[in-house]
Amino acid sequence: MTIDEELELAQILREIDCDGALEETAAAALPRTRRDLLKAVVGAGTAAVGAMVGARGAQAAPTTSRGDTAILRFDLVLEYLQAGLYTEAERIGALTPKTLAWARVVGAHERAHVQAIKGLLGSKAVPSPSFNFRGVTEVEQPFIKTAVAFEELTGALLKWQAVRLDSREIIAAVATLHSVETRHAAWIRRIIGLQPATKAFDQPAPQRQMARLIASTHFIARRPKMTRKARPRYTG
Amino acid sequence: MRRARRPRVRAVVVRRVVMTLGVAALVAAVAAAVGGIGSGGAARRAAEPASQLALALPALPQSPRPAFTPHAPVLLQRSRTEARWAPVARSAVARHSPRADAATVTALSPTTPDGTTNIVAVLREQASARGLWALVRLPVLPNGSVGWVPRSALGGYGFTRTRLFIDRAHFDATLFRNGRVIFRAPVGVGKLDSPTPPGEFYIRERLTTLESPFYGPIAFGTNARSEQLTDWPGGGFIGIHGTNEPELLPGRVSHGCVRLRNDDLLRLARLLPVGTPVTIR
Repeated sequence: MTIDEELELAQILREIDCDGALEETAAAALPRTRRDLLKAVVGAGTAAVGAMVGARGAQAAPTTSRGDTAILRFDLVLEYLQAGLYTEAERIGALTPKTLAWARVVGAHERAHVQAIKGLLGSKAVPSPSFNFRGVTEVEQPFIKTAVAFEELTGALLKWQAVRLDSREIIAAVATLHSVETRHAAWIRRIIGLQPATKAFDQPAPQRQMARLIASTHFIARRPKMTRKARPRYTG
Repeated sequence: MRRARRPRVRAVVVRRVVMTLGVAALVAAVAAAVGGIGSGGAARRAAEPASQLALALPALPQSPRPAFTPHAPVLLQRSRTEARWAPVARSAVARHSPRADAATVTALSPTTPDGTTNIVAVLREQASARGLWALVRLPVLPNGSVGWVPRSALGGYGFTRTRLFIDRAHFDATLFRNGRVIFRAPVGVGKLDSPTPPGEFYIRERLTTLESPFYGPIAFGTNARSEQLTDWPGGGFIGIHGTNEPELLPGRVSHGCVRLRNDDLLRLARLLPVGTPVTIR
């Protein structure tokens, strides 16, 4: 992967952070200046970031190139988002039993994906942002539409990324996720009466397309500020 | 007699020779045929895909090991005591029923008087043709007020598995997580003329670095309000905080707030997330 491609990936991750929520999350998780942290979170691929990560001591897997790290960070945010969607739906329990049963299984898979990618990135992992699913987890039709969109596009995105990854070991790992994501998409399509597989070939979807989808949902939200340094005025 | 026997003997000998030669020829032919099939079959087998793959195996690159070991599915740990809260994302009106034309209970602002995000405890949701609404606990008098707000006025949900019980009769605070006691300490509660209000509430905010010995190192704000000190600065909210007079605890010592010894408060602060439901009885 070229430096230009790395910078483009970094820019794409910035685009989904439309409310500054990722930057804010990183600021809360890591003791650095906000500007440096944003660079670190989006994997800008600059020497400064490399130096900063190096200064933090713990590197991720030593064979992970900067380009692979940028791709995996994007995937981690996406997996956080998917895991968050299904987890919240399961916790609230407002969907039909059939959809909830599906969400329970798929959520368990997505949480496992989060663990796997976090483990792979090590200290380079992006902290989980805060989410606002805006009622999608509470109403059947919006939930299903969102789930179908995310599962199908995730499969297409992983196809796009696979040929851009440097490490064959990471490609092999991502392939284990890819087929599961496409199975999820086929499963939910079948539940709602759509054909599970309509085409002989699937096209890859660029990372920018996924970034646009995530940004359009505004699911990544600012963390509420519930702690403050202040003198209270309670009754005492 | 002798002449008659000789030709018969000669004929038998001739027949035996002919038979022997015939059998030998047949065996030779079968052997030749079998030999031919054997060599031709081997050649064909070599042309089969499986054999080709077997021959090509040593030439294939070694398979890479996936960079991570696949994890088992991570099941969600459910808890009966799980509670939900949400920040108020924009100014909104809480109503008596989930309709835009229903009577107003109160107005909600995105921030508290202390400058923190205003959060509400979410009790349930209701979807209809009129949109999605959430029933929430409100930080207004009378204590225990609830109201319906549009889901769009709230931010992302948070969840807690902790519950705090304040027992005014026994002067103690008990914190549960997943139904198990994880903290217990003696407390001071409101005097008889300014009692700590009973009811169901929630932790609304956490204030630190107070520079105030009176409140101790950390103070938690709740949505409960004093029914007597209504003109108190900031609205007369009930807090859970420390004290500079630990010798007075436990007992009825406060203006309605719940006071803990500072070391107990610091211990509680490590366990008590904002959004936790609070029962005062």
